[in-house]
Amino acid sequence: MKKLAFAVAAAFAATAFTGSGALAQEKTIKITGFGAKTGIIRSFGINSEAAMLAAAEVINKQGGVKLGDGSKAKIVVDFLDDRCVAEEGISVIRRIYGTDAIVAIGPTCSNVAEPLFGILQKKVDDKGDSGLQMPVFTDVAIKGGLAKISEWAFRNVPSEFTMYSSLYYWLRTKYPEVKTLFGGVEEDFAHSRALWYSVMKDRAQANGYTIVGETKWLLNDANFATQVREMKKANADILSIAAHPFTTCGLLKEMKRQGYKPKVLVGLTSTSTLETMQGCAKDVEGMIIPTSFAPVNKEAKLAADLTAKKKGAADLHSMAAWENMFILRQVIESEKISGDKSQVQADRRKIRDGLSKLKTTQGLLGVSKRTDDREADKPYLFVHANKGEWKVLHNPL
Amino acid sequence: MGVNGARHHSCAFFMLDFVQAVLDGMLFGATYALIGIGFTLVFGVMHKINMAYAAASIGGAYAGLLVLKVMALAPPWLVFLCAFAAGGLIGYLVYLACFHFIPVASPLATLMSTVGMLLLIDEIIVHATEGRPLGYPAVFDDVMLRAGELTLRGDLLLVFGVSVLCMAVLLFLLYQTRLGLATRAVSQQPVAAQLCGIRVTRVNAVTFVMTGLLGGIAGAMIGASVGALSPLLTVPLTVKGLIVTVIGGLGSIPGAIVAGLLVGGFENVFQLWRGVTERDLYVMVLLFAFLIFRPGGLFAAKGGTD
Repeated sequence: MKKLAFAVAAAFAATAFTGSGALAQEKTIKITGFGAKTGIIRSFGINSEAAMLAAAEVINKQGGVKLGDGSKAKIVVDFLDDRCVAEEGISVIRRIYGTDAIVAIGPTCSNVAEPLFGILQKKVDDKGDSGLQMPVFTDVAIKGGLAKISEWAFRNVPSEFTMYSSLYYWLRTKYPEVKTLFGGVEEDFAHSRALWYSVMKDRAQANGYTIVGETKWLLNDANFATQVREMKKANADILSIAAHPFTTCGLLKEMKRQGYKPKVLVGLTSTSTLETMQGCAKDVEGMIIPTSFAPVNKEAKLAADLTAKKKGAADLHSMAAWENMFILRQVIESEKISGDKSQVQADRRKIRDGLSKLKTTQGLLGVSKRTDDREADKPYLFVHANKGEWKVLHNPL
Repeated sequence: MGVNGARHHSCAFFMLDFVQAVLDGMLFGATYALIGIGFTLVFGVMHKINMAYAAASIGGAYAGLLVLKVMALAPPWLVFLCAFAAGGLIGYLVYLACFHFIPVASPLATLMSTVGMLLLIDEIIVHATEGRPLGYPAVFDDVMLRAGELTLRGDLLLVFGVSVLCMAVLLFLLYQTRLGLATRAVSQQPVAAQLCGIRVTRVNAVTFVMTGLLGGIAGAMIGASVGALSPLLTVPLTVKGLIVTVIGGLGSIPGAIVAGLLVGGFENVFQLWRGVTERDLYVMVLLFAFLIFRPGGLFAAKGGTD
């Protein structure tokens, strides 16, 4: 009996010892994601979180990240909900700042990113600026030129300006007979507005198209009869729609009812997702969209599969979060991050400096260039809606 | 063509656009009418506003889509039937959560509880669907009736027909049945009705189930006419439903239908004339005009002001 008691006690002691030993030895590096997990764009947050978790799992299975002292650390991912509301985004980044996270990945919405970057320190080492010194590496918020707001802001989002410029150029060569363009814009959504007024319109004209009109609607509109009549009257060759899936689907259904079919249909980057296919797969048939992700190679397919296992969908946004994790692994190792919780601010600075040094990064579709204003120049291709799926139509690069 | 000819031509075009905008708007207003009927029925019986009504209706419509999970090729009518039943169930749950257990003496509490219910239903939908729009089976979606240059959407004419049918059924229930008699008694004199042996809570619950069933149809019709369901629909429909209820006259079922068509036509004309960003301003102006000059709405006796 005594022997049995001794054996049990020894087993407990061994378990406790090895358990605590393992805990003491296993260093962790926390990366916190944030984005919309509430409201109508909840899927964006879910997809980003799934991609981050999947990427972290791959990195950890490969042994984790190498720290400055030569030891290895596992990556721990946390994800917070900012509800796509600017005030909440600012509150979330302050909360992240109060943790041991060395970098934040997010947000989903451009209307959150813009004010959020505004509370970061504008210029590094500016003693008179008490802004947050927290590196933020954006995966989704896509409105052009936002990273220039702060030297702590970095983005791995595609340049819509470049992509649409290339798309209209390609359309010009592919369909030389097509000359006129009509625009439709979701007037109360920052990304849609920015895309139509600053990108699509400008790039279409630059590529020789004549803009014959534009029409507007709101994000939660459901009746598009008047707008489609305007489109029909203008009878343009190309219809460029800067709107998200719900209104894009509503508009396309109304176009079908009224028998309006332009020769070429161009959509917004964020519409080349599963959402659109769930809403109106038949009606969206033929729509062309430039995107920075499609599962066209082994790595991209693997990323999409692993993200799906975490209950997320792979698209141009979530796969940017995946890429960010691997870029950060590279920076953590090159900048010799300590992983010491008492050195978190110094580590954040190293991450910032490391990100700013990057001239190129490896993405799922190839090499991305980093610009001086901390934006990405990502590879892209054109996809089109084809039998309920987004399929690659053309690779311009 | 001379100057006068050109002016005449452009004037004719404008009139055509104007009439078409009125028709498009009025037909889409049938969806507002369906929601307005539910609002007005609850107000007519309980003298309370159920802010969760439009959200519950859309919730019922979403529940209808569950049929497609079981039977991928289920006909639209089966989806609508499921939405109808789910609407009744949700209506009863809303009654229990927001009215039955909340003291009658606290009208503000019931109002706030229905606001909370609106947000709750909205968030449940968002969590269940991840906020993604879901395609909804359509009926007469490809039917466009033509009258010269003018066109009318077949699916919206169906919604209008359903609204009128719902009104007829509700009026029959209210004025030709014992349940209706009890409902009107509770509406007019709840204490006297109780003294006469009418179970007020039961009548209230039945009213909610009835409006819920109607909401299920309304949600399904809206889903079918929009072609997709999204949580984005709930708040605008709540606002439009309330406006329709006020303009039609609180408690008036025919008023809700007429006001639905009026608001739909009005907003579409202002969308054509002033653009989408100003459209809702004019609808609000219309609401205030009614509140000041005809506070009882279209179908109510003239009342005084403060």
